Amino acid sequence: MKQLLGWPARAGTGFLRACAVAGVTMTVPALWAAAAALGVHGGAGNPWSWLLPVVLAVTGTLAASRPLCRAVRALVARWTGTAVPAGYREPGPVTRMATGYWWNGDRYERTRRDALMDQRMRTYWRDPATWRDLRFTALAPLTAGLPACLPPAGAAAAVLALTGAAPLLVGPIGAAVAIGTAPYAWRALEPAAVRFLRPSTAMLLADRVDQLTAQRADMTVTQAAEIRRIERDLHDGAQAGLVAIGISLATAERLMATDPERARALLRSARAGAAGSLAELRDLVRGINPPVLSERGLVDAVRALALTTPIAVTVTAPADRPRLRLDPPIESALYFGTAELLTNAVKHARATAARITLAHDGTGIVVEIEDDGRGGATVRPDGGLAGLRRRLAVFDGTFELDSPEGGPTRAIMVVPCESL
Amino acid sequence: MRILVAEDLYLLRDGMVHLIEAYGHEVVATAATGPETLRALLAFRPDVAVVDVRMPPTQSDEGLQAALAARREVPGLPVLILSQHVEQLYARELLADGAGGVGYLLKESVFDGEQFIDALERVAAGGTAMDPAVIGALLTSGTSHRRLERLTEREYEVLGLMAEGLSNQAIAGRLFLSDSAISKYTTSMFGKLGLTDDDNVNRRVQAVLAYLDHS
Repeated sequence: MKQLLGWPARAGTGFLRACAVAGVTMTVPALWAAAAALGVHGGAGNPWSWLLPVVLAVTGTLAASRPLCRAVRALVARWTGTAVPAGYREPGPVTRMATGYWWNGDRYERTRRDALMDQRMRTYWRDPATWRDLRFTALAPLTAGLPACLPPAGAAAAVLALTGAAPLLVGPIGAAVAIGTAPYAWRALEPAAVRFLRPSTAMLLADRVDQLTAQRADMTVTQAAEIRRIERDLHDGAQAGLVAIGISLATAERLMATDPERARALLRSARAGAAGSLAELRDLVRGINPPVLSERGLVDAVRALALTTPIAVTVTAPADRPRLRLDPPIESALYFGTAELLTNAVKHARATAARITLAHDGTGIVVEIEDDGRGGATVRPDGGLAGLRRRLAVFDGTFELDSPEGGPTRAIMVVPCESL
Repeated sequence: MRILVAEDLYLLRDGMVHLIEAYGHEVVATAATGPETLRALLAFRPDVAVVDVRMPPTQSDEGLQAALAARREVPGLPVLILSQHVEQLYARELLADGAGGVGYLLKESVFDGEQFIDALERVAAGGTAMDPAVIGALLTSGTSHRRLERLTEREYEVLGLMAEGLSNQAIAGRLFLSDSAISKYTTSMFGKLGLTDDDNVNRRVQAVLAYLDHS
């Protein structure tokens, strides 16, 4: 029964979708047909009468191909959930040089507008996606367009028969074709888009190279900053402390014979200084690589972290591998990510409890952190969470955040790794 | 006392041996790796062993594992763990068997020779010697927080010192109070925590820690 009721609904939506597909894919052929008509109208034998129609059709095709392809991607994503990546090249930044001219990555222009226009044209013509879109515009009418034309054509034939403009027999045939093909006619769009509209391997590789270059630059900067911080901490902390201890000891040695009481006091202060320097070094080491992480691995390090967090934290880990060891850089990134997220839960979300789940599926490790705080966290471009996402991206890892206003916040870090 | 020193860094091991001998105790053996430590612990059965956490061959927590393994063989074998850093996780593992005779201190605790030897003696006698940082964190960690809210500030302070392994007398000295005042605090504290009072310091500490651990 349900199936019977579902059929008209499916035929209805299918009909509308087929019309949409036909509209999108047949626009360019229609344009060329109009141009041909114009040419014939001006005189089929006269080459000059073809000039204007051809120029118009070529310009129209060029201008329409990208918006039409965008529309196809949107329709496919909406109807089938299949995301077809676009892979268009993004223009780089346009900067003003000291000379007052504008540099768009390719040439100098007197004004920003000129620079942007020049850049837009260059990016458009050099983008392999432009040629791929044109190819799709040519192929789509044959692959997806023709089947999609069946239902509207059938319906049109039926209407014509009803009004008497066509033989009566055409009516039922047209209606049967329209209704029978409606649920299926639009479906050719998805495979066609997936096959012809996807970025090519070369484009994907170029994107990947860009991404890796950006990551490498980012990492080099981060690493240099981190090394500077460590150097500064050592210089101002432990090193200075050791110098102070040395001075105290030298003075105490000198005073030993003449003023043993003061010498003893100096020795005591030297001892206190050594303890202080040690404490500073310990904090520094914890910030670079927590000892428990190298001694026990990620699971126990997260457990240790949970114990020192001022809110109630429960840690769940795969029971079959209590001492799960990953590559040290991945362990470190996940550990510091967890620490940052826990700190956020305490500080910003004002949570009273949190739950950390470590799990591994066949391809990687998944760390999930959920708190009962007030939510509302977002990944701002310059914020800590964006930094966390960048640090995970180095390992092709991902960071997802779900934090509605009012809570709860749920954060998931996933890093693919084989050393499981 | 007959003492075992397990430490992989030669300078530290040597310094520790000198310090212990300076206080008139005997170092019966030294060990520099995890397996060596375990063998020496079981062969010499020292009155107390000083063990470093991180040791060769893996440079992970070999020393701690050796100590835990030895205590599984010989329950209550007194071990004082020395480390560059203290972790609550390790403290809980050490205390988990409830047998007593455990210590867990930062390496710089040897700076104060007297207190260090005092801690060694306490552990050798079956007591505990815990770093204040571990105890503080144990007392304030999320899980135990709610149960301890009923304690007054002073009782809380006493509980912390008791968990470090101090006797009533030592706590009284630390807080500048009389012995009887301290025992009054402990009685009311144990009442609030639902623990029966006991004169034995070690058993009380274990009770406190076990309580925190399982709450």
